Amino acid sequence: MGTYTRLLVRRYLTTRIIPLIAVGAVALCVALVIVVVSVMSGFLENLRSSGRTLMGDVVISRPVQGIPHYGQLVAALEALPEAAAASPLVDTYGLVRMPYPEGRSKDVVTAQVWAIDPESFARVTDFERTIWWKPASDPAEALAMEEDDPRRTLDDGPLKAARAMRDPASGKPGALLGMHVSVVNQRQRDGSYRPRVSHWWMPNHEVTVTLVPISEAGTVSQSNSRSFRVVNEVMSGVFQVDRNRVFIPLADGQEMLRLDEAPIVDTSAEPDADGNLPVIGTSPARATQVLVRARDGVTPTELKSAVEKAYEQFWLSTSADAAVRAKPPAPESVSIMTWEERLRDLIAPVEKERQMMRILFSITYLVCAGLILAIFWAIVSEKTRDVGILRAMGASRAGIMAIFLRYGLAIGIAGSAIGTGIAWLVVRNINAIHMALGEEAPAWAWVSIGLLAMGAAGGAVRSTLRSGALATLLWTVAALGLAGIAFGLASHRGFLIWDPAVYYFATIPSQMDWENARLTCVGAIVFSVLGAAVPAARAADIDPVRALRYE
Amino acid sequence: MTDRHSSIARTPAAQDGNELPLLEATGVARTYRLGKVEVPVLKGADIRIRAGEWVTILGSSGSGKSTLLHLLGGLDRPDAGTVRFRGESISAFSPRRLDRYRNEHVGFVFQFYHLLPELNVLENTVLPATIGVGRWEFARRRAEIRDRARALLDRFGLSHRVRHRPAQLSGGERQRVAIARALMHRPDVLMADEPTGNLDARNGEGILEALAEQHRAGLTIVMVTHDQWIASRADRIVHLADGRVA
Repeated sequence: MGTYTRLLVRRYLTTRIIPLIAVGAVALCVALVIVVVSVMSGFLENLRSSGRTLMGDVVISRPVQGIPHYGQLVAALEALPEAAAASPLVDTYGLVRMPYPEGRSKDVVTAQVWAIDPESFARVTDFERTIWWKPASDPAEALAMEEDDPRRTLDDGPLKAARAMRDPASGKPGALLGMHVSVVNQRQRDGSYRPRVSHWWMPNHEVTVTLVPISEAGTVSQSNSRSFRVVNEVMSGVFQVDRNRVFIPLADGQEMLRLDEAPIVDTSAEPDADGNLPVIGTSPARATQVLVRARDGVTPTELKSAVEKAYEQFWLSTSADAAVRAKPPAPESVSIMTWEERLRDLIAPVEKERQMMRILFSITYLVCAGLILAIFWAIVSEKTRDVGILRAMGASRAGIMAIFLRYGLAIGIAGSAIGTGIAWLVVRNINAIHMALGEEAPAWAWVSIGLLAMGAAGGAVRSTLRSGALATLLWTVAALGLAGIAFGLASHRGFLIWDPAVYYFATIPSQMDWENARLTCVGAIVFSVLGAAVPAARAADIDPVRALRYE
Repeated sequence: MTDRHSSIARTPAAQDGNELPLLEATGVARTYRLGKVEVPVLKGADIRIRAGEWVTILGSSGSGKSTLLHLLGGLDRPDAGTVRFRGESISAFSPRRLDRYRNEHVGFVFQFYHLLPELNVLENTVLPATIGVGRWEFARRRAEIRDRARALLDRFGLSHRVRHRPAQLSGGERQRVAIARALMHRPDVLMADEPTGNLDARNGEGILEALAEQHRAGLTIVMVTHDQWIASRADRIVHLADGRVA
C-alpha cells in the first residue's frame, strides 16, 4: 500500500476536530470498562488473598469431635517439603457478653470463636499483621495517623499481649475481638478507628465467652463460660470476619468444649474407696482444624495433595498402634480443602459477576463501533472529492479503503492509549476520589466554577449580540454545564458508595488489571476498525468521475 | 535525475498519419444514468493524439468533452469503442492495471484545482509519487522525490509557499500547484480539464504559459475548454458536438 495512506491518516487525525471526538468516545469507553473490571478483579483478588491471610493454604477439618493426636499430625505436616508451617485450632460458635453498656444488663453477641495457638497460628496466617492496636512501625506511618488516633500514644504492650494471648498484669487468658464485633468501634474516613466513647476502648475491658460442648453422640452438654481480658482487636479487612470472629487461647477453647486431654476410666469396674473409677488410659486433646501454609513456590493444590498423603500416613501409623485408644478419624471422615475451595461459595458468584460485567460492558464496544461508523460516514461524504482526486492519481480501491481502515485503527489505538491512562489514574486514586465524594466540596471549588459559568454566560451574551448562532449555543451549553457543576458541588454533602458492610472490604481495590486492560484495548481497536470498515468500503466504491464532479 | 520530457523529441503537429498515436479513441460511447433517465454523452467519438502534441477538445457545455478526457485518462471506461495507449487497449485493462496506467502515464489538472486541503503545497505535490511506491521504496527515494517536487514548485514560482495549505493560496497559485502535482511523476500525457476556467485573465494566461512551456519541453497535452481563444494555443483543435467529433 502506498505511503500516501499513512500521510493522509496523520493529517486527517491532526487537522480535524471530528476524529478527536471519536478518540474521546473510544477513550471513555475503554476507561469505563478498565476501571469497573479492575475494581471487580481487585475485589476478587482481595477475597482470594484474604482467604490465604486468614486460613493458610490448606485446611484439614473435622468439626465437633475434632482430630486427636493433632500434635503428631502437625509435626508430620511440618516435615513435608511442600509445607512451611501448620497450626491446630478449635473452631466453634459461641456467645460473647460485652462489657457495655453500664449497669447489670450487658450486650451479648454471637460470634465465631477460634481457639488458637498464637505462635504457630501467626506462622500459618498473617495473624500478626491483622492485630490493630499497635504502635506505628515507622515515623512516616506515625505522621500519617490522625491526632486523636489511640495508636499514636500506644507502646507495644497490647501487641505483646496479643502475641501471648494473655494479660501480662493479671495473667488472665486474653481474647482478641474482630474490629466490628464491638459496636463501640467507629470507622473513620481515613480507615482508622476510634471508640465512640474513649472509656469503651476494648483492650481495657473483659468479655465473657460462653461455649457449648457437643458430645461425640451429638448431644449438647452443659455450657461453659469463661471471662477473658480483651488484649487487642484484629482487622483482617474482610468485614464478615471482623464482625464475627473472636480469638481465644487454644487450651481454653479445648477445655470449654471438653476437647482437652482427659483420663479414660473403666466404667465396668468397681469404684475405689473415694468413689473414683480406675483410670485405664488418657483421651488426647483434640483440634477441629489444622491449618497448613505452603512453602514459597508451592501451589495450594500441590500442598493439598501432599497433605492428603501425609494424613493417610498419620492415620495408618496411629491406628496401627494398639496402645493408642483414641484413633484419629479415617481420611474419608475429614475434609481437606484449599482455602479457595473453602471460599468457593463466596468467590464463584463474584467471578460470575465479573464475567457478567465484562459481557455487559462489551456493549460499549458496539457503541464505539457505531459512533465511529457514523463519524466516518460523514467524513467519507465530506471527502468524496478527495477520493476522486486520489483515484485520478492512480490510487486503487484497496488504497482508498486502507486510508479509512487505518484512520479507524489510529483512532482505536489513540483512544485505547488515552483511555488506559485515564483508567490508570482513576484506579490508582479511587480511594482518594471516593473519600472526596464522601466529603463536602470546598467552597473555593464551587465558587471558582461558578465564576467560570458566569464568564461563559457573558460569552453567550456577546455571541448573541454578534449574531453567532453556533458560538451562542456553545457558550450557553458551557455556561449551563458549569453552573450545574457549581450547583452540584455547592449542594453536595458527601455520600458513601463503597459500604464495607456490603462489599466485605474496608477499601476499594486500587490495582489495575493489566490483563483486562490489554484485552479491552484490543477489543476497542478491533471494533474501531470494524466501525470504520463500512464507510471505508463505501469510499472505495465511489465512482471517481462522479466524485470529481461532486459539489 | 533526468527529465524525461526534455528527452522526448517533440512530434510535429502534422505528420504522417500512419505513425502509431500515443492515445487513440475509436468509436467510444458513454451513457450516464441519472435516476431512471439514461443520458447518452458520447455517441461514437474518434480521436488520435500523437506524442508531443497539444490537442484541445473544444465544445459547448454538455458536449461530452470532459467525459472523453476521463476516458482517455483511464478514469472511466467506455460503454462501446476502445481507447488505446501506445496501441494497447486500456479499456481492457484490469482495474489494478488501469490504476497503474493513471499513476504512471497520466497527469490530471482540473478546473477547480482539486488539491487536498489537509496537505501543504509540498505534500500535495509529492502525492502522486507516494501512490505508486511502497513504504521502503519511498523511504529509499524520499530525497529524490522531495528534490523533484521542490524543483517543480520552484519552476512555477512557488518555492516560498511549500509549507502553506491550499486555503492560503490564490487561485492561480493553487492551479500552479495542481500542474506541479500532475507533472510530479513524469506523465506521458497531461489531461487538463478547463484549467483556466476558474481564473481571471492574467492568472489564466500564466497557466497557459506554464502548459506551453511543458509542451515545448515535449509533453503531450490534451486540454478541454469551451473557449475558442484558449483553444487556439494548442497545436490542434478537435471540435466535439453532440457526443461526436465534428
